[in-house]
Parts: sequence; structure tokens; C-alpha cells
Amino acid sequence: MLTLDRISRRFGGVTALDQVSLKVPTGQVFGLIGPNGAGKTTVFNLITGLFPPSSGQMSFQGQSLIGLPPHRIATRGIARTFQNIRLFSEMSLIDNVIVGMHAHLDYPVWDAVLRTPRFRRLERNARVDAHQLLQRVGLGNLSQELAGNLSYGNQRKLEIARALATQPRLLLLDEPVAGMNATEKNAVMTLIESLRQDHLTVFMIEHDMRFVMGLCDTVAVLDFGRIIAEGSPSVIQSNPAVIEAYLGQEDTAS
Amino acid sequence: MDWSSWWATYSTLVLSIGVYGLMALSIYLTLSCGLLSLANAAFMGIGAYVSAVSTLQYSLSFPAALLLGAFAPAGVALIIGVPVLRLSGVYLAMATLGFGEVIRVVALNLEVTGGPLGLNGIPLLTEWWHVLLAVVLVLLLLQSLRHSRIGRAFEAIREDETAARLMGIATHRIKLLAFVLGAAIAGLAGGLNAHYTFTLSPGNFGFENAVDILTMAVLGGIQGLVGPLLGGAIITLLPELLRGLQEFRMAANGVILIAVVLFLPHGIWDPRRLRRWLKKRSKHADA
Repeated sequence: MLTLDRISRRFGGVTALDQVSLKVPTGQVFGLIGPNGAGKTTVFNLITGLFPPSSGQMSFQGQSLIGLPPHRIATRGIARTFQNIRLFSEMSLIDNVIVGMHAHLDYPVWDAVLRTPRFRRLERNARVDAHQLLQRVGLGNLSQELAGNLSYGNQRKLEIARALATQPRLLLLDEPVAGMNATEKNAVMTLIESLRQDHLTVFMIEHDMRFVMGLCDTVAVLDFGRIIAEGSPSVIQSNPAVIEAYLGQEDTAS
Repeated sequence: MDWSSWWATYSTLVLSIGVYGLMALSIYLTLSCGLLSLANAAFMGIGAYVSAVSTLQYSLSFPAALLLGAFAPAGVALIIGVPVLRLSGVYLAMATLGFGEVIRVVALNLEVTGGPLGLNGIPLLTEWWHVLLAVVLVLLLLQSLRHSRIGRAFEAIREDETAARLMGIATHRIKLLAFVLGAAIAGLAGGLNAHYTFTLSPGNFGFENAVDILTMAVLGGIQGLVGPLLGGAIITLLPELLRGLQEFRMAANGVILIAVVLFLPHGIWDPRRLRRWLKKRSKHADA
């Protein structure tokens, strides 16, 4: 579904990503792990078009993503959440989700100005759909609350709902359970499991090993901008290079 | 004082409240998507000159002149908006102020605008209900935009442009729409203004006016459509109400503005603060 072919990205003299090649197959939950500063979020920023790769090719469903602006990539069917939450904090939960539907709420300006029946029908449907999405992530009873008033965990859930509102075929999750307690983590795990049932492809960055190993079909390991291993969770867990670069470090740290 | 002599004295002031309400609404549009554009005074000037020349020299009907006065600055906005809206924050403010100066200098040197003397003897065609109708129509337009995908896109861009782009919003186009629509409203206000002031001169649409218009929106608050209207009315009335202070008038004017900005950072009309305040009061009443 998503292919990265020898993607490199340099910031000044620093090589953040070095010849990264990845294939995210349709319908899978794909995990990207690696120590802090390995370049994981840079991978997401390149895929979503926030900045271009220095070299290499990227394609989504067989079409190149190079040179497309972010909103075009979004309408192609790639949605994401952010490591450092980026909600519209002064807007209500339901409006946050409806903003995600922007590209699909496809009435022209004059429909809104004249309040035509089509405008009203589409807006009403959007509101119903947004409510369902909020319910799906467990925020159904907070729809009129301001996003900025939510707890950290709930903000992450709202980001997922907002991303789902764009009707993606590929969902990029950047540390979806960071800062969550065990109950909240389990809720997100169930949610991602249900997204997999709906044939949505999920590509996630996460530090929580139990979470990654429990959910992912394939895991890739990024260290200093290079992919050092890729495979099923059990293969990754026993890979000596990975243990040294990542899991080993975690052991000594904790 | 009977009605007709009161109107003779104060009609210009009353009409100005409406016209500057429109101006505050025009800058509200760009502010609501996070753009600090100070070109609105210049757009007002373009609208004023175009419509005044239309009635004065080409004897166009008033509605046609007003329409032309709204379309001309919108066209200019469309052309300069594409490069200028790549900028943001202070840089955008500087670029749009520079544009305003260009327009002022052009008006100062063109023959059709009357050069430094400006235009005189513009027919007095603006009736009170023209201004009222314009305000009502613009309010209806903005209100319906606010509750549509366009209004939500404005708000999303103001809060977090990157997140907005990743939600599939073509942010450049949406910002251009706000800029052009704001220019059209400013042009309409300029056309109405020209036809009750009798004269126009390039100095009317310079730096001072640009800052005044911004002050109206900030003072009134941009949480809703009431704020800009309120701010427009206050800034227009304040110098008149402080007339008794004579030469200290402008200083007092400034002190009041500073106080409002310091103590009411969201402006005078802030629905959220009002709601909190009402809640507190009802609690006190219960106790």
C-alpha cells in the first residue's frame, strides 16, 4: 500500500534518514520503533508532505507522493495523529472531528450562503457521523466540550477520531498511547484492533513494547536514521542488533 | 433639537458607525483565519475612488458604482494575495502596510483620482438604509459562512495551520478567499463612505486608518460578529464623546484602548467570559 524506496532526508549537515526503504502492506498493523531521535517522526512528516525527502521515492497505492502538498496527500487517503498533540483546542470535540471531514463535505460556498437543502443535509449527516466517531473512541458524552479541556489521554483519542473523519485508507499514529494509563491503553488497543477488522491499514510509531508486540503484524526498527531490522514481533524481539540498539538500552535504563 | 436638525448634525457620524462596522467585519475575516493583514484601509480607498469616479465622471447608477467599488479591490486582492499570503505574522503585516502606502502614493499621483487634492463634489447618494442594508447583508453572509465548512476551516487554520493542512484543507485557497472577501467588503464600505462625505483625499486611507481598523476588531473582540461591530462603533464615537477634553482627546482615547486591551484580552464582546460571569452571578444569587 505504502512504499518508501531509499528515502533520505538531510537537515543541513545532519542526515536524519539514510536510505530508508519500507513496505507497509494493505490491511496490516505496521509498527516503527527505535530509540529517541532515530528519525521516526521524520518518516511521518515526509509521508504526509510536510517537507520533501532529499532523495528517494515514495508511493501510495501505486502513485508517487513526491511533490504533493499535504492537503492533497490527505485527500488521497493518508491521515495522521501527532506525537505532540495538535488539536484545535478552542473548538468543541465535535467541531474538531467535522474539520476532519472538510474534504468530503463537498458543497460549494453558495450552498452555505443560501442554506440550500443540500447544505443542510450534508451538515446534518456530518454531525451524525462525527458523533459516531466520537462514540467509537469513547468520547461520545463530551462532544460539546472544548478540546483544550480534555485530559491528555482523551486528547490522543480525539486526534484518532479526527484523523478517522478524513476517511483514510492508511492511518499514521505517532505514539498513540504515550502518557496514557493502563485502562486507556487497553481501550486504544481494542480500537486499533477494530480498525484492522474494518480493513484499515495502520502504521504506528510507539515506544510501549507490550502495545507494539501485541498489535503489530510487522515491526521495523529505526536507529540513527537507518532501518536495522524488520520482521514479525517475535523475530524482532530476538534480533541481537535490535536488543543492542533499543531493547537493551531500555533494560539498563529501567 | 428636533429630528431633522439632529440628523443634519449627526448623520455623518451615524453613517460612519455603519461603515466602520463594515470595515471591522472585513478585517475580522482575515483575523479569523489568523492573518494579520493591514491592507483593508487601502482596499477601502480603492473602493471609494472607483465608485466615486464611476458616479462622478461616468454617471453610473449608484448600485452599479457600489458593485464596481466592491469588485475592484477584490480583484486587486486576488492578484496580490497569491504571493503575499505566503507570509505570516509580522511579515504579512509589513507587506500589507507597504501595499497600503503604494495605493496611497498612486492615488496621490494619478490624474483620475484628482492627485493630492482628491475628488470633490461627489454626489451625496448614500441613504441611512443603504448602510443598514449593507451591514445586514454582510452579517448574514458572514454568519452563514461561520457555520459552514469554510468557517470551520478559517478557525482550524488560525489554531493550527499544519494540522489543518493535514485534515485535507487547501489552506492557501481558504486564506485567499478570506483576503478577497474582506477586500470586497472594505470596497463596499469605501463606496458608501465616499457618497456621503462629499470629498475624498489620499490621506483618508493611509497608515492611521489601517491601524484604526485593526484596533476596532481587536477592541470589540473577534469571538463573534458582534465584537467588530461594537468596536467599530466605539472607535468612531470615542473622539466625539471625548470632545470636552479638547487637546487631551487623543491621549484619553489611547488610554482607554490600552486599558481595554490589558484587562479584556479577548475584546469587549467575549461570549465565553460573559457566560462565566453570568454563571457566577446566578451562583451568588442562589447563596
